[in-house]
Amino acid sequence: MSRMSERGGGDLRAWARRHGYSLLSSVGTLVRNPLTSALTIIVLAIALTLPLGLNTALVNLEAVHDNLDRLDSISVFLELDAGEDGARRVASQLSSWRNILAVDPVSPETGMRELAGATGLDRFEVGDVPLPWVLEVTPNSTVDIAELAERLRRAERVDMVVVDLDWVRRLDAILGVFSRLVILLAALFAASVLFVISNNIRTEIQRRREEIEILALVGATPGYIRRPFLYSGLWMGLGGALLAWLAVHAGLWMLKGPVEALAATYGASAELTAPSVQMLGLMLTGSGVLGILGAWVAVSRQLARINP
Amino acid sequence: MIRFEHVAKRYPGGVQALSDVNFELRRGEMAFLTGHSGAGKSTLLRLIAVLERPSRGQVLFDGKNVGRVSSRQIPRLRRKVGVIFQDHKLLTDRKVLDNVALPLLIAGYSWSEIRRRVRAALDLVGLLDKENTLIPALSGGQQQRVGIARAMIAKPPVLLADEPTGNLDPELSEELMRLFCTLNELGTTVLIATHDLDLVERLGRRTLVLKAGCMIDDRSGAGAGRRDGEAGP
Ligand SMILES: Nc1ncnc2c1ncn2[C@@H]1O[C@H](COP(=O)(O)OP(=O)(O)OP(=O)(O)O)[C@@H](O)[C@H]1O
Ligand SMILES: [Mg+2]
Repeated sequence: MSRMSERGGGDLRAWARRHGYSLLSSVGTLVRNPLTSALTIIVLAIALTLPLGLNTALVNLEAVHDNLDRLDSISVFLELDAGEDGARRVASQLSSWRNILAVDPVSPETGMRELAGATGLDRFEVGDVPLPWVLEVTPNSTVDIAELAERLRRAERVDMVVVDLDWVRRLDAILGVFSRLVILLAALFAASVLFVISNNIRTEIQRRREEIEILALVGATPGYIRRPFLYSGLWMGLGGALLAWLAVHAGLWMLKGPVEALAATYGASAELTAPSVQMLGLMLTGSGVLGILGAWVAVSRQLARINP
Repeated sequence: MIRFEHVAKRYPGGVQALSDVNFELRRGEMAFLTGHSGAGKSTLLRLIAVLERPSRGQVLFDGKNVGRVSSRQIPRLRRKVGVIFQDHKLLTDRKVLDNVALPLLIAGYSWSEIRRRVRAALDLVGLLDKENTLIPALSGGQQQRVGIARAMIAKPPVLLADEPTGNLDPELSEELMRLFCTLNELGTTVLIATHDLDLVERLGRRTLVLKAGCMIDDRSGAGAGRRDGEAGP
């Protein structure tokens, strides 16, 4: 039929043009309602800032945790017959090592008291178990703990070296809880993104009821009617993710000074890690997809009412 | 092209808008649909464009029972039917250009082609200078003409018009009716619901008369100016 051939270009080009018109239409809607769009994007950004911020905090805490290993003290148990003189001599020897910050000798009596306290037993029940002198060694923050422990083990009069990693392990566990929390929050806030966007699109649809009806009347397919809204959802998702990203960067920038001051008291230098570009990509993709999904849900419900 | 077989339409509220309507409109034919207010004219047109489904009977479009088509096929069907609505159904926050362009945007025409065709259509309805005017800034008659331009822009094989000249002065009415006649001569099947009996008679086309949901008359247009058998409300 001549009518068919009048349509310019092939089906593919017509398809591409329809997409182009939908895209322009969605941008037009955002621009025509700058306040609504801005508010939605801000709400989304807030919802996304929380998990992203927590994740960033987690990444940074893990870095600190790696550093804390080095601040840990090492217990060096001397041979039983070393005595106080021997202990003091080894202590002064060790404190001259380049990798060691401080050496603190602990007498058997003090050790006994601590042991009794820690086990809850009376010191007489513990009895006359002979205790050695112990040197609490604080290593330099840059040292490799394992290597230092090995060297200490080979040092004169040293019986045993114990690296106490208890509280580091505890921190480990805390970080584990924390990272699980980040995952939970991320899921929660992803859901909120979905609801915020689909709710926003729902009101948008309510406002543009007439337009949707008219489009349907002149023969637009559900896909065509849906598309501008899907694009709107996408823009909102992307905008929210981008803004959240910027917010976390701003937060890091504000924390930079105080954190450096804090690190300085430990004689360390702090370098805050910003969320990676991959993270940005992940968030944009995720939030964008959620935006499209939210819009899809909202439009489909409305469309079902229009076609008899 | 369009055939009604024992069609009845009852709205959910319980109103029997049409009862047992039978007629056929052949390809390339033009007819008027008259009848008192509430006779069921709009309802009949809405059944053809699948804006409503019949409660009983069959509405055949091109041999296909449109009362039974799946909702996925409705858009394709509607694109074959240009409808001029009694209440215009225009996008009130857009310009005339965007409104008239709608069917072509949906079909994916290039923007330059759309511009060209929109101007041609607006020229036909006498609104060429209003291309960039927002709809609320137009008079009722001008809005009606925007609706007419939109209905015919994609050159659909069937044109349905519901009171297309309701808000127009006699001269403009006559001019637009002649435009419908021209489109019909170019091959479009045209069905026009109207109260303007004088104009209907002057044009001397086939006339279908509805009364309280029943088709009470179907006069061929041979005898222009005939007044007998007019079933008033
Ligand atoms: N959506 C609807 N729901 C319920 N009843 C309806 C609906 N649309 C129309 N009706 C009823 O159906 C009957 C026929 O209406 P219709 O609009 O077809 O009349 P009409 O011939 O077009 O009238 P007019 O000349 O005033 O436009 C009327 O009694 C009307 O009240
Ligand atoms: Mg009517």
